[in-house]
Amino acid sequence: MDSSTASILTEVFFETLGYWYIIIPTIFLGLIVGGIPGFSAANTIIILMPLTLALDLQSGLVFMISLYCAARMGAGIPAILVNIPGTAGAAATPLDGYPMAKQGKGQQALAISFVASCIGGLLTTIIALAAMPILARVGFYMHSVEMIVVMLFGISLIASIAAQDMVKGLIAGFLGLMIGSIGTDVVYATPRGTFGFLELYDGVPLIPALVGLFAVSEAFVIIEKRVIVNHDGEPKAPNWHDTFEGVSIALKRWVHIVWTSIIGLVIGVIPGAGASIASFVAYQQSRSFSKTPEKYGTGHPEGLIAPESANNGVTSGTLVPLLVLGIPGGATAAIMLVVMQFHGVSFGPSLFENQPKVGYGMFMAMAVSYVFMFLTILPLSRYMSHVTTIPTIYLAPMIISFTLVGGFVPREYMFDMYLALAFGVLGYIARRTGYHVAAILIGVILGPLLEKYFLWSLKKSDGDIMVLFSSTLGNILWVAFALSIILPMVFSMRRKRKLEVPAE
Amino acid sequence: MSMKPMITRRTLLGTGAAAATMTLATPGLLRANTFPERNFNVYIPTAEGGGADRNFRAFSSVWKTRLGVEFEPSFYPGASGRVGYEIYMGKAEPDAYNLLFGNIGPEVLNWAMQAPSFDINDYIYFGQVDKDPCCLFVGAESPLQTMDDIIAAAKTRKLNVGTSRMAHPASIGLLALGDKLGLDFNLIPLQGGKGTVAGAVTGEVDFSVLTSGSVIAAGDAVKTLLVFGNNIVGEALDNAPSINDAYDMDLPEMLSTRAFGIHKKAVDDYPDRFEVLTRTFKETHEDPALMEAYIASKGQPEYLVYAGVEECEAEKAAMLELGARYKSLLSGA
Repeated sequence: MDSSTASILTEVFFETLGYWYIIIPTIFLGLIVGGIPGFSAANTIIILMPLTLALDLQSGLVFMISLYCAARMGAGIPAILVNIPGTAGAAATPLDGYPMAKQGKGQQALAISFVASCIGGLLTTIIALAAMPILARVGFYMHSVEMIVVMLFGISLIASIAAQDMVKGLIAGFLGLMIGSIGTDVVYATPRGTFGFLELYDGVPLIPALVGLFAVSEAFVIIEKRVIVNHDGEPKAPNWHDTFEGVSIALKRWVHIVWTSIIGLVIGVIPGAGASIASFVAYQQSRSFSKTPEKYGTGHPEGLIAPESANNGVTSGTLVPLLVLGIPGGATAAIMLVVMQFHGVSFGPSLFENQPKVGYGMFMAMAVSYVFMFLTILPLSRYMSHVTTIPTIYLAPMIISFTLVGGFVPREYMFDMYLALAFGVLGYIARRTGYHVAAILIGVILGPLLEKYFLWSLKKSDGDIMVLFSSTLGNILWVAFALSIILPMVFSMRRKRKLEVPAE
Repeated sequence: MSMKPMITRRTLLGTGAAAATMTLATPGLLRANTFPERNFNVYIPTAEGGGADRNFRAFSSVWKTRLGVEFEPSFYPGASGRVGYEIYMGKAEPDAYNLLFGNIGPEVLNWAMQAPSFDINDYIYFGQVDKDPCCLFVGAESPLQTMDDIIAAAKTRKLNVGTSRMAHPASIGLLALGDKLGLDFNLIPLQGGKGTVAGAVTGEVDFSVLTSGSVIAAGDAVKTLLVFGNNIVGEALDNAPSINDAYDMDLPEMLSTRAFGIHKKAVDDYPDRFEVLTRTFKETHEDPALMEAYIASKGQPEYLVYAGVEECEAEKAAMLELGARYKSLLSGA
């Protein structure tokens, strides 16, 4: 980094700090829209676009970035407390976050999530800033063939989940993949499995599936109890101790935060990939190389840290192709592109030559937002966690009505509300019969993406299946994938042997 | 003396009918005077953040000042734009408050590939915002930097070519080029303009074809080599030649035409509202503020050309004919 860049960065940093009066209210707005299923940073920026366009360039930029970061973190709050992931990017968060809340550790879980999000986001912002030219190249190597393997990393989670009951796990996973294949195909746009419903042409909408499988089915389950928390995990009065304990748990696992947030960053810089892929891949990787994989899904802190660090890593990652190549990495980045172009900003290779303060300003706004988020949101965890103590006779109807509205919001179809209810019933039956709803959901979310990359690869090779092994990087990823499946099994066998030896 | 009744039964009935007609018609007439009295909903069959989004916002930012209400966009990407149209025709009330903002070229081609569930004559395009020819372009770092490079490479292997969707005027331009040169290209639908640009830039495909407005907006990241029409913007498209000039062809212009559409029923039921829409639409085109907004949104001034109902409908018919001709190649049938 030369001295002129350093001086621009310093200048931009202090300028961004001066926008605290925009950042702090926007953080709270972002937390709210992120936490409400169906809302997101992207559709909020669209709704508030007249305001954004009326603001000056720097203010508009700070507003959009703060909202983006805060909404990403906000989506984790209801995912942890009431099993409602606000967005597909938070779909892996309740796997361990919600069990923690049920054990009466909602406050610790929130603190862990906030620390992982803020550190993961801040760290990846710094890395993205420093290694932007290198990271922008990732998209040049990660094509459809390589992305198939990345998808498989996430989808292999089904197998991990199935390990507890292989037949039921695989049935749930395949059911999810089948549901995920509903909609028009990516090549010729031919409708499949839509049952004549126009609303399914674009595939099964994610938010109704998400809230139905997780939240509505959970509401049906918790109505049978007095409160969410288990009997042995009675909630305590608000106290700082639990917050600090959560912070401490997260900080002790700083390597985990760094590792999984970098997974998010790398996936985020690939145009078209997103937070849902990153959070599942990070969770799968975290579980695969954990010494205690059996604890995942039971309220294990590392199972919460992985998706939260990763999806915040994606946030900074999506800015890299936008700024360096002019290609938005995701939906929110695409909206930002439109707003910035209205302000006369030209993205792409010339941005850092012509308007370096804009380019660096976006990263600096992100870094400053994460710092402010940490300071403003962390203290609130002690109050937020008390949602879990609301009697279920009030909470369950609230969850159902709240999530049905959330299912309705993205597309404004009544159909989506019915779909959320249908997924709720499906999820409830699955829970009551020992099938894992997460396995269904992974198929629903990642199945269409896998199919897209698979069909593109086959189309590129004129139907030659060997295209899957045609690239060097792809082959390296195949080996890594095989290792990530085999090594945990080897480690597990070794651990079992070690345990058996003293017994002999 | 017998008095002649002041009001006969016939008169009473006639007056009553006239009064009833007036009573029923009055709100309509009053409404006509106040149209529009609420915001418009605009159905856009592509994703937010793309070229359609940019153009819509630029145009509506000026149009709204004449109508005094906002234009609220909803984006319905998916199934090559089919979802947006089906939703508009199937769910939006035909009251002239629900409008469509589409791209005549690629979206009408869809109907030639697979007929929609509605009658395609049940909607019309009434106002063209802009019109740009499609083009062929490579990523700035692609090893293929000239048309000669592409032709030489295509003789040794089948090149993969990114396109927004299979049924797209740009795809037809490429297939026509392949026919002329005896080359076989493999079209890969990359689902939208952003993906198509990204595909060429990152090397997912060998090169891409797309509407030139989106290619120009991509800036230095891409280089245009050929235009499937006339290059009226010169350097903005890297002075790329027209396909007809470069290869002695007689291909009609492969155009992307962004235009507002409306239910035919709304035109028939509310002619007064339709008149307000078409008149203010034309006035907006004459407003210098539109050009400023259009340029600010990275539009090329040369592409901002007004056309009304007749021209738009003629293009719709031309696209249906073109689609029928290339159906087997574009639909996999």
